Amino acid sequence: MKKWILYIGALVILASCSTQKPLYTWDGYEAYSYKYLKDRDKESREQLMESYEKIINEQEGSRDTVPPGIMADYGFLLMQADQQKKGKKMLTKEVKYYPESKVFIDRILKMIEQ
Amino acid sequence: MKKTIYLLVISAMIILGGCSTTTKSELYGDMYEKKPVSVLIMPPINNSTKVEAKEYFHSTLNVPLANQGYYVIPPFLSMEILKRESAYNAQRFMDADLTKFQEVFGADVALFTVIHKWAKSSIGSNVKIEIEYILKSTQTNQVLFSRKGEIIYDTSVNTGAGGWVGLIADVAASALNTALTKYISVARSCNDYTFSDLPHGKYSPRFMVDSSDVAGDKEFKQRLN
Repeated sequence: MKKWILYIGALVILASCSTQKPLYTWDGYEAYSYKYLKDRDKESREQLMESYEKIINEQEGSRDTVPPGIMADYGFLLMQADQQKKGKKMLTKEVKYYPESKVFIDRILKMIEQ
Repeated sequence: MKKTIYLLVISAMIILGGCSTTTKSELYGDMYEKKPVSVLIMPPINNSTKVEAKEYFHSTLNVPLANQGYYVIPPFLSMEILKRESAYNAQRFMDADLTKFQEVFGADVALFTVIHKWAKSSIGSNVKIEIEYILKSTQTNQVLFSRKGEIIYDTSVNTGAGGWVGLIADVAASALNTALTKYISVARSCNDYTFSDLPHGKYSPRFMVDSSDVAGDKEFKQRLN
């Protein structure tokens, strides 16, 4: 009898303990994002770009894909760093991964071409 | 037979234990009905005396929203456009028509944050924050989710996961000083705590199945670290 109680107790505890893996991993992104937001200089831009690279290439979240907004923002920063071609490619990738971004990204691409 | 009775009693206790509380769908029914996908982060409205509080929050809002299953409109790119369109002052749009945001950004909802207070206690290492989060539909202008919190964050407790030490471990040490990392963690904890009640979005496996989850109060007081 006691075994049953122990068993159920253990199950309840285990169920509440197993922490779920997040959908995405971010590699300290928030701190770099803050720094770029605040400083807006070349150094903070390059650090944020490095962080984007890691989020894209070393993604360990449960969805196993790049989080929303990241490729587009990376593309935006690449363009500011005079890497137009790669930047544009990143913007188009955002739409490919997240079709709901199409309205906005198409507008940006149009602005760039003008 | 006795086993079955025991089982029944225990399961009844577990179920009853979860009763007499409010569920997510009771508090945020419109979220389950409208099922918004894409979120536009509006620049936080900072009414506190701490100037940097705006950026602490602005730079930490997209992560919890994405992790909760939403499409977050690229924060830096959208900020640039808001600036160009002279729409950077979010206060102006709190009670305004938001349909334009759907047209330009493809946003289903806009997230407003109002920082009412950010104060360091004169003794000890507490930061007291009062903040409000409001998610408004760009179709109907109606509020779909809102929470207001009075949060006391103890910066002296260096717990691992979720604490600021965990964050430092992620970051190249040379890039940032500890005070900065600490305050980013304050904002991050406020966001995480508040959004734990936000119904999950389309990209989460919990989308639409979390409606009977227990929800906390819309106005809360909480100690975090």
